[in-house]
Amino acid sequence: MALDTMSDVPDEALLVRYGNGDAAAARSLTLRLTPRVLGYAARILGGDRAEAEDVAQEAMMRLWRVAPDWRQGEAQVSTWLYRVVTNLCTDRLRGRTRRRSVALDDAPEMPDGTPGAEAGLIQTDRMAALGSALKILPDRQRQAVVLRHIEGLTNPEIAAVMDIGVEAVESLTARGKRALTALLAGKKAELGYEDDV
Amino acid sequence: MKMTSDMRDDGELDGLFDRARGESLPPSAALMDRILADAQAQLPHASSCDAPRQTPQVTGFWASLLAGIGGGGGLAGLSTAAVTGLLLGFLQPAPIEAPVSALTEAIWTSNGAEQVELMAGYDDIFTEG
Repeated sequence: MALDTMSDVPDEALLVRYGNGDAAAARSLTLRLTPRVLGYAARILGGDRAEAEDVAQEAMMRLWRVAPDWRQGEAQVSTWLYRVVTNLCTDRLRGRTRRRSVALDDAPEMPDGTPGAEAGLIQTDRMAALGSALKILPDRQRQAVVLRHIEGLTNPEIAAVMDIGVEAVESLTARGKRALTALLAGKKAELGYEDDV
Repeated sequence: MKMTSDMRDDGELDGLFDRARGESLPPSAALMDRILADAQAQLPHASSCDAPRQTPQVTGFWASLLAGIGGGGGLAGLSTAAVTGLLLGFLQPAPIEAPVSALTEAIWTSNGAEQVELMAGYDDIFTEG
């Protein structure tokens, strides 16, 4: 896949170009936004890549459709897209027949014979543990924590994405972090944190 | 001591967030292709990018004939010339009739032959009905 040749052009300008019939702008937007959309969807959906790809494709489809009517200056393209992904993921989570309740003990194990030093394995286990802990959080807490601490959005941006107030965002992220800390605390020895002290 | 422990836990969690932020989930080529195909299908004014529809060419005997004589302009010129020639030959206007008659009389009179008028004059047509 070619590199983004319009890397210095803002998302909104590219979207306007696409709305005026510029196919090259769509290519740049796809290269730029799809990895973010896919990664966020995968984290919210608990690592289900196939479902995350469906969400990413649907979210980008909605972006293409809204392009001709895009009102400049009202919202950032990325914020608008995060909101669409959040809503799509929420619908899918509600539609699941039974809620996955994955405990930390269900974290995926490394396959036998995987190359790498022990430190690398510990780091991998730590990331898997974080993923598993995120799955256990309530949906809204998980969305707020991921948007704030992994996607790097500001609280006002998260408020716009989740359609709530900034104070509610602060409350969700604080409770989410506390829950994650508590969940991971019980796994410290297994994850090698005791050795780091 | 609890505060110290909490601060250490926060730092460890932030470290995990930093690592997670640095890890990307690369989209598959198939997904990128599907999204680009969607973009192409939804491209505004896509119909204006299509090749202009060709007007069917009129072909046949009359079209070939018209093209052979230079199109509509050629046809008009040819028609004008034909009508003018017909009028000149049929009506014999006086400016043409006089010198022709004089030449004919000179030739045929010198031979003593009888002069015959093969084409009626303008006056004959409109006076004799």
